[in-house]
Amino acid sequence: MSEALAVVETAGTGTPVPAVSGARQFWRRLRAQRAALVAAAVVALLVLVALAAPLLTALEGQDPTTYHPTLIDSARGGVPIGSFGGVSADHWLGVEPQTGRDMFARLVYGARVSLGVALAATVVQIAIGVTVGVAAALGNRWVDQLLSRATDIIVSMPLMIMSLALLAIVPASFPRPVLVTLVIGLIAWGSIAKIVRAQTLSLKGLDYVSAARLSGWGTWRIARRELLPGLAAPVITYAALLVPANISVEAALSFLGVGVKPPTPSWGQMLTAADVWYQAAPQYLLLPAGALFVTVLALTVLGDGVRTALDPRAASRLRVGTGRKDTTGTENATGKTPENAADGAARGAAGSANEKEASA
Amino acid sequence: MSGFGGFLLRRAVGAVVTLLAISVIVYVVFYVTPGNVAQITCGPRCSPEQVHQVAEQLKLGDPLYLRYWHFLQGLFVGQDFSTGTSVEHCAAPCLGQSYQTDQQVLDIILTKLPVSVSLVLGAMVLWLLLGIGTGVLSAWRRGRVSERVLTAVTLAGTATPVFVIGLVLMIVVCGELQLLPFPQYVNFSDDPEQWAWNLLLPWFSLALIEAAAFARLTRAAMLETLAEDHIRTFRAYGVAERSVVGRHALRGALAPVIALNANNVGSAVGGAVLTETLFGLPGIGQELVHAVKVVDLPVVVGMVLVTGFFVVLANAVADVLYAVADRRVVLA
Amino acid sequence: MRQPSVIARRVAAASVSLVVAAGAAACGPEDNDAKGSGGDSTPHKGGTLTVLNSQPQSDFDPARLYTSGGGNVPSLVFRTLTTRNRENGAAGTKVVPDLATDTGRPNKDATVWTYTLKKGLKYEDGSPITSADIKYGIERSFAPELSGGAPYLRDWLVGAADYQGPYKDKKGLSAIETPDSRTIVFHLNKPEGEFPYLATQTQFTPVPRSKDTGTKYESHPVSSGPYKVVKNENDGEHLVLERNTQWSAATDEERKAYPDRIDVRSGLDSSVINQRLSASQGADAAAVTTDTNLGPAELAKVTGDKQLAARVGTGHFGYTDYLAFNPKVKPFDNPKVRQAVAYAIDRSSVVNAAGGSALAEPATTFLPNQKSFGYTPYDPFPAGKSGNPAKAKELLKQAGYSGGLTITLTHSNSKDFETSPEIATAVQDALKKAGIAVKLQGLEDNDYRDKIHSVKTEPGLFLAHWGADWPSGGPFLAPIFDGRQIVKDGANFNTGQLNDKSVNDEIDAINKLTDLDAAAQRWGALDKKIGDEALVVPLFHPVYKRLYGKDVKNIVISDWTGVLDISQVSVK
Repeated sequence: MSEALAVVETAGTGTPVPAVSGARQFWRRLRAQRAALVAAAVVALLVLVALAAPLLTALEGQDPTTYHPTLIDSARGGVPIGSFGGVSADHWLGVEPQTGRDMFARLVYGARVSLGVALAATVVQIAIGVTVGVAAALGNRWVDQLLSRATDIIVSMPLMIMSLALLAIVPASFPRPVLVTLVIGLIAWGSIAKIVRAQTLSLKGLDYVSAARLSGWGTWRIARRELLPGLAAPVITYAALLVPANISVEAALSFLGVGVKPPTPSWGQMLTAADVWYQAAPQYLLLPAGALFVTVLALTVLGDGVRTALDPRAASRLRVGTGRKDTTGTENATGKTPENAADGAARGAAGSANEKEASA
Repeated sequence: MSGFGGFLLRRAVGAVVTLLAISVIVYVVFYVTPGNVAQITCGPRCSPEQVHQVAEQLKLGDPLYLRYWHFLQGLFVGQDFSTGTSVEHCAAPCLGQSYQTDQQVLDIILTKLPVSVSLVLGAMVLWLLLGIGTGVLSAWRRGRVSERVLTAVTLAGTATPVFVIGLVLMIVVCGELQLLPFPQYVNFSDDPEQWAWNLLLPWFSLALIEAAAFARLTRAAMLETLAEDHIRTFRAYGVAERSVVGRHALRGALAPVIALNANNVGSAVGGAVLTETLFGLPGIGQELVHAVKVVDLPVVVGMVLVTGFFVVLANAVADVLYAVADRRVVLA
Repeated sequence: MRQPSVIARRVAAASVSLVVAAGAAACGPEDNDAKGSGGDSTPHKGGTLTVLNSQPQSDFDPARLYTSGGGNVPSLVFRTLTTRNRENGAAGTKVVPDLATDTGRPNKDATVWTYTLKKGLKYEDGSPITSADIKYGIERSFAPELSGGAPYLRDWLVGAADYQGPYKDKKGLSAIETPDSRTIVFHLNKPEGEFPYLATQTQFTPVPRSKDTGTKYESHPVSSGPYKVVKNENDGEHLVLERNTQWSAATDEERKAYPDRIDVRSGLDSSVINQRLSASQGADAAAVTTDTNLGPAELAKVTGDKQLAARVGTGHFGYTDYLAFNPKVKPFDNPKVRQAVAYAIDRSSVVNAAGGSALAEPATTFLPNQKSFGYTPYDPFPAGKSGNPAKAKELLKQAGYSGGLTITLTHSNSKDFETSPEIATAVQDALKKAGIAVKLQGLEDNDYRDKIHSVKTEPGLFLAHWGADWPSGGPFLAPIFDGRQIVKDGANFNTGQLNDKSVNDEIDAINKLTDLDAAAQRWGALDKKIGDEALVVPLFHPVYKRLYGKDVKNIVISDWTGVLDISQVSVK
C-alpha cells in the first residue's frame, strides 16, 4: 500500500512522502493511461489559466469589471451588439449582456473562484472527514458513538438550507470566497467520514496493523504510519467526485443568492445570470456551461486514472482482468466492503449522494 | 429474527437522538440568524408598538431554552393556538404553527410531501435506468462510441446545474417543440396520467444530475466483478458474454447501487430545492428555502426534521437491502 | 409602501417582497378599441382566465393585505368604500366611489369624513352589507394576529395608536361611528385631505362579524365583489374564483368581470411564467400575470418578434429607485460629498443594470414622473446621461478630498431586485471615474432591511426604493422626509433623518387641502425644495412590461398600478 502515500499528501493529510519506489510505480501506472494524461493536462491548463488570469486579460487588454455601455443595446434589454455576443478583436469572447463587461476576462477570473472554492472546499472536507473517520474507527466505544452520531447528524441535514442560514449569520466583512469554501467544506464531510471509518475498521483487522499494535505502537503512530496509506485510494477516488460536486454547489449557492459577491465573477454566478439569456444571447450561457463541463469531465477522468494507478488490483486488471486493456481505468470507493462494518460501508457506498443533493 | 428486531430498535433509538440533535442545532442557528421575525410578520411599515404586540403574540420574547421547551411540549403533548376568534388545538405530535401564515406546520408538510415524493420517486426510476444502463454499457463495451456518448451525457448532467438544464429543456420541449405541457403539479389521485406528463421534465432534469454517479458506481462494481474468478470460470465454460454481463456481473454490482440509491432518495426528498423552484413544484425543498428567507423557525424546524427523517429511514432501508443483496454483510 | 419586485425574476423563493399584488386600473371597453388583440376586439362574457404568478395569494384576508388601491386579484373579491378609476394612463390615477355613493364628504378642516353606502349591496350569501361591517373590518386589521396592512389607519384615527383589535378589546374604535346601517363617519386626529385614497385599501372591506374566523378567515373570506373564492389550496398557491351571483353590476361601475372563472396559479418561476405566456398554448392563451415583469433577457427576445411584441402591456407605477445618504455618517455629513456623488452618477449604466432603457427611465426627481404626484421636473446636480466626473472631482476637492475618496455602498444580496448587487456594481463602476472608490457591502436581505431601517445601524450610503401607496405626493414624501416620522426604536424610513421645520409645516399645510390637484402642485414644489439638500440621488423609475396570452382582450393599464387590471380583462 505504500505507493499510495505520495498522493495522500496532496489530499491534505500532511503525510510525508515515503518510499520513492512507490511513488515511481504510481507515476508509471498513471502514465500508462492515455485518457488520464490528457485529463491531467487539461486540469493543469485550467489551473494555469486561473493563476494567470491577470496576465491573460492584460494580453487581451481588458478587465472583468469595466462596463462598456456602448457595446450593448439598452433598448433591447442590454443584449450585446454584433454577432456571437459582440465578439471582436478587443473582446475575444464578446461581452456580457446588460453591462458590456468582457466575457473572456470574466471567464478566466471566474475560473479562479470556481476552481479555488471547489478545491479548497474539498481539502477541508477531506481533512475533517479523514480525521473524524479515523478517530471514530480507532477510538474507544464512546468516541466512536459520539463521532458516528455527529456524522449521522451532518449527513441528515439538508445542506442547502444550512448553507443559507450560515451564510446569513457571518458578518458581511468576512471575505466571501473563503466563507463559501468553509461552508461547503464544513457541512459536507459526512460521507467521507463514513467511508474512512469503514475502511479504517477493515484495515485495523489486517495482520500488519495488528502486528504494529502488538509491538506497542501508539494509536496515533499506527494511524499515521499504517492506516493513512491504506486510506489513500478510496479518499482520492472520492475527492475526484467531490471537486465537481463542489463546483456545482457553488453554482447552486449563487442561484439562491448566497454565493460569491459581484463584481467578483464565478462560473456559478455567470450561469445563474445567464440561463434566462439562453434565447437572446446563447453564448452568454454556453461559455460558462462549456467551461464547467470541460472541468468536470477532466477532473472525473483524472480521478479515475489516479484511482487505477493507486489500486494494485485495478492496475493488475490492466494486464489480466477481462482480457481487454483498460484504457480509462476504474474507480470504486466501495469495492472492498469490510465485513465488520456493514453500516458504514453501505453508506460509504453512497458516494457523492449528499453533495449531489445540493445541486438538485 | 431477534437480530433483526434488535437492529430495528437500535436504529429507531439512533434516529430519534439524531433528529432531536438536529432540532436543537436548527433552533440555535436560527436564533442567531439576522432578521426581525416580528417585523417581517407584521410588515415593513409596522410601528414599534405593533411589532411588540406581534412579538408577544408569537412568544418571540421568550429565551431560547423556553422556546425550545415549548417546541418539545408541542411534539409530545400538543399545543393550543388562538385564531383570534377561537382556540385551535394542535394535537401531538404538533410541530407548531408558522409565524408567517398561521398554518400548522404539519399541515404544510402534509400538503408538500406528496409533491416531493412524486418528484423523487419518478426521477429515481429514470436515474436508475440511465445510470445502470450507462454503467453496464461502459463496463461491457469499453472504448466504443456508444459508451463514450452515454458517459459524456451523464457527465454533462452532473456538470451543468439543474436550473440551466431544466430551463433549457423547458424552453425547447415545452415552448418551441410543444411536446409537453409546461410542468404544473397535478395530484396523482386527481389524474394519474396528467400527473406523469407534468412531472416528466422535472423527473428527467433531476435524473440527469444523479445518473452519472450511478453510472460510475455500476461500471466500477461491474469491472470488479468481471475480474473475479467465478466470472472467468463462466467465460471459460463458454457462457454467452451477454449472459455473463447481464446476469452474473450485474448481480454482483447491485449492492452498492442499492445503497447509493437509498441514500440519494432520502436526501432528495427535502433536497431537490432547485428543481422544485425552477419547475414551480410546491414541494418541501421550495417551501424550506422560502421559510429560511423569512426566518419562519417553526416551519424550518419541522421541515428539516422531516427531511432528516427520510435520510435516516433511507439509510436503514439501504442497510437492510445491502445485507439482502450481499450475504456476507451482517446487520449491526 | 408597496414594494413590487421590479426585476423580479426568481420567484417566491428568491424575493421576500412583503407586498401584495398590484392593483390595476382600467377603463371601459369604449376607451381602448385600439388595444384589443385579434379581429374581434369587443370583450364578451364567459370563459376562464388563468393567472400565472410567482407570489402566492397568501394572507388573502382584507385585514392583512398591503395594497395600492385595493390590489388586483383581491379587488375581485373585496369591495372597498372607494376605489381606483379603472382607466388607461393618467385617468386611472383618480379615486372613485365603490361601495360608497361618493368619495367622501369632509368637514371643514378635513378631520371628519362621512360616507354613505349604496343601496342593495350584498355579500355572496345574500345578506346585506352594512356600515358596521366596514367598521368591524377596519377594527380587526388592528389585531396583532392579522397584522400586515399599511400604517395610516393607526396614525390617523383618533385614539387608534394602542388599539389591539376586536379580539382583545371588545369596546371597539370610538373614532369610527355608524349612526345607521348605511352611514359611516371617521374622526381623524389631524387634517387629511387624501383620506379618499386611503379608503381604497382592502382594510375598508366589509367583514361580517358572525363570519369572522380570525386567522382562518383568509381561506374563505366572504365576498362583496364580482367573484367568490371556491377553492384555496396551500395557503393561496392555487386560488379559484367563480362568479358571485349576489354581486350586481348596477352597484359597481368599475369592475367589468367578463370571465366566468378565474384560476390563479402561483409559486411559478418568473422565467417560466414568461415562457408560458409567450408560448400561449392551451389554457395559457387566456392567461395573464399580475406580478411578473418581463426581464431584460426576455425583452431582448420579445422585441425581435412582432407577434409577441403586440402582446406586451406597458405601464408606469409610481416608484423611484435611489441612492440614500445617512448624513450622520462621515463623509456624508458634508453636502459637497453628497453632491459630488450626485454629479458622478452614471444613470445610463444603472438603467442598463435595471434592464435597459425599455424597463427603466432615468430619474432626477424623487417624485415619480407623473402628474398625479405633482411631478415638477428638476435636476439640481446635472450628471447628464453618463455622469459628470469633472464636476464631481471639483466638489470633492472643495470638500478636502482632492486625493480621492473611498466610501462603502450597502446593498442587498437578493438577486434581480432593485437593491441588488447588479445595480450596486453599476454605481461602483460609475463613481470610479470621479475618483471615488466604492467598497460594496452586500447583506442578506433581512439583515439589509433591518440595518437600513434602524437609525442605530443605518449605513452611510445604500440602495433604496420607494413605491406609492396611492398616486400622490403625500405618501411618497412624508414617510421619507417628515422629521416627526423619524422612528428611534423601530422601522425608520426617514433615512436622511431630515427634521426641517419648514418641510414639516408644508407637509401639514398640504394635508389640509381637499383639492387634490392643488395639493399635487405643492407636493411637486416641496420635492424640488428637498431635492436641493442632496439627501438622496434618484436613479430611475421602473417601467413595467408584461406579456399576456393570445386570447386576452381589453387590456387596461392605469398609472396608479402600472399593470393590467384583471377586473377589465376578457377572454372571449
